[in-house]
Amino acid sequence: MIDTQPPAFIFIAGAILLPLLRERRLRRVFQLLIPVIAFIDLLYMPEGTYWIYNFLGYELILGRVDKLSMCFGYVFVIMAFLGMVYALHIRDTGQHVAAFLYMGSTLGVTFAGDIFTLFVFWEIMAISSVFLIWYQRDIAALDAGFRYIMVHIFGGCSLLAGIIIYVSNTGSTHFGFIEYGGLASQFILVGFIINAAVPPFHAWLSDAYPEATVTGSVFLTAFTTKSAVYVLLRTFPGLELLVWLGAIMAIYGVVYAVLENDIRRLLAYHIISQVGYMVCGVGLGTEMAMNGTTAHAFCHILYKALLFMGVAAVIQVTGRRKLTELQGRNLYKKMPVTLSLYMIGAFSISAVPLFNGFVSKTMVVAAAGELHRPIIHLLLHLASIGTFLHTGLKLPYGTWFGRVPEGEKVEEIEASEPPLNMLIAMGMAAFLCIFTGIYPKILYNILPYSVHYHPYTTFNVVAMMQLLLLTAGAFWLYIDKLGGEATISVDTDWFYRKPGMLFLWFVGHPLQNLRSGLQHLLSRTVASVASLSKNPILLPEIATRYIHLRIINRLYHIFGLAEDKVEELKELESRYAAIRKITYDKDVYRRPIGFGVLLAIVLLFLYGLIYFFTLR
Amino acid sequence: MAKTLKYIFLICAGLSILLGLFFRPEHPHFWWEKIPAFDAIFGFLGCILIVVGSKALGHHWLQKDEDYYSD
Repeated sequence: MIDTQPPAFIFIAGAILLPLLRERRLRRVFQLLIPVIAFIDLLYMPEGTYWIYNFLGYELILGRVDKLSMCFGYVFVIMAFLGMVYALHIRDTGQHVAAFLYMGSTLGVTFAGDIFTLFVFWEIMAISSVFLIWYQRDIAALDAGFRYIMVHIFGGCSLLAGIIIYVSNTGSTHFGFIEYGGLASQFILVGFIINAAVPPFHAWLSDAYPEATVTGSVFLTAFTTKSAVYVLLRTFPGLELLVWLGAIMAIYGVVYAVLENDIRRLLAYHIISQVGYMVCGVGLGTEMAMNGTTAHAFCHILYKALLFMGVAAVIQVTGRRKLTELQGRNLYKKMPVTLSLYMIGAFSISAVPLFNGFVSKTMVVAAAGELHRPIIHLLLHLASIGTFLHTGLKLPYGTWFGRVPEGEKVEEIEASEPPLNMLIAMGMAAFLCIFTGIYPKILYNILPYSVHYHPYTTFNVVAMMQLLLLTAGAFWLYIDKLGGEATISVDTDWFYRKPGMLFLWFVGHPLQNLRSGLQHLLSRTVASVASLSKNPILLPEIATRYIHLRIINRLYHIFGLAEDKVEELKELESRYAAIRKITYDKDVYRRPIGFGVLLAIVLLFLYGLIYFFTLR
Repeated sequence: MAKTLKYIFLICAGLSILLGLFFRPEHPHFWWEKIPAFDAIFGFLGCILIVVGSKALGHHWLQKDEDYYSD
């Protein structure tokens, strides 16, 4: 029996050891070895609850292993391997370290058995992932990364607040089903749905993912949202609110994808749309819906990674990321392999029969059907149309084929197939997409509940083909209207970006002016007090002369000044200036000692008087 | 090339609709599942709805210049 370790630690150990390896070839082997070790580790992990540590009177549980956590664990580790193959040519060790920490913490979340462990890994996940954005090393990525981390810190704080209230209310740190109602559950839910990118808390995803590094965005697509789906499955199954949020989310992503010009942002909106199915499935809460959600998360990770790999390859070799800059350049001639592999991902996400999306997405939709939820059923159906329309038709057409709008000049662009390791990663992802699509049993066997659903009924296949083919027909009608437009679309990030800029302006201008004005006033007051304190004894005289001068000046200003008076005024002014220059000199102003005694007696008398009267 | 594609597409679409007339769902959950070729109609109209609806939303409200946030 092999002694298993928490898979999170394997990845974190990998992150620590990786920078120590100087030899490049060795480092590459090591990068691929870590996910493989983690996978073997998973195979030997028995079901149960173990790796329990005591900390400040609480139990930290690092190994809560059941079918649900195992299913997510498997796909996360498979994805880690695919992503590492895809990123193998990157020499920047920092990126790999960030990716390892990110994947390790996601596995930590997956196998966490108590909410403290969950929270710690949750935060590491947010912090390590932002580096995959920042390593892009441009201003847009830096800004987007900051917005990303701010949103996630907000989410983390909300989660922590919820956890603290929950623990003090119930005394339990168990990470499991939470009854919705009350502050604790609401805070926790907000923390979770921020990571699941549920509108209106979704804008961080479409904002930041397209700015990440070419290889980093592939990692990002897989872990954050899907681990959020996992924790939702654990804590809020059957929550009605999630049904509606999920269905709206599925449509929401589709609508924005129509408008999007940036190819990675278009796919990012489709992550939101696809996670909508999963959130909806969590809300439906039946065994079939939970199975469907888990299966869809599994498949989604594979095909979404493949899609991102495909467009990221285009971005890498052409340096372009907008449909308006790519359409009509006939890239299909230069990157046929990338295109074919991308299309496998596109067919998978569109749920074409024989591809993996078909065996998972239809299960969620069927679960809505079994529960007789007509509106949800139709909304999810509608979102399927949009998915095929964009990822299956509009994006590949615009990127690899497309027509240039009339009057625009087309320049030849340099392009070729991406490096071999990228193609191999895409090939493996494509293989898995088709394999699970053709042989769904292997996926259904690892789902949390036993599966009584058969995707490949003739009706299902025929209905799906009708839906997709006629969508393609309608696309044909609008083919010229669906080209990219050089715009960006405002989303809910408007609510923190624009007011944020307004706030910065407010701080930089009105508030700054107020500060400098106040400072000026104060320093002038201090300066004049300081100059007066040079000779306090002359204060009465200076004051009377000053007032005298001001009054005369004022009067002359009003009534005019006679010629002979000018000299007089100048005389007064010079005398005033001379007096102000006199500093205190104790030899000049020394008083007889009797004066002091007299002063003391007078004060004593006054004090006695006050005392006498107040006593009565 | 484009013409062949068009024919293949039309044949496939026709075939799927035709097959849909013969293979009906065993346990329809909703009344519309009993309409023949419902998915074809839904796919076509739904696609048009998404394109037209989203474009209208975008052009009248959501789409801004690319430097909207940078000034």
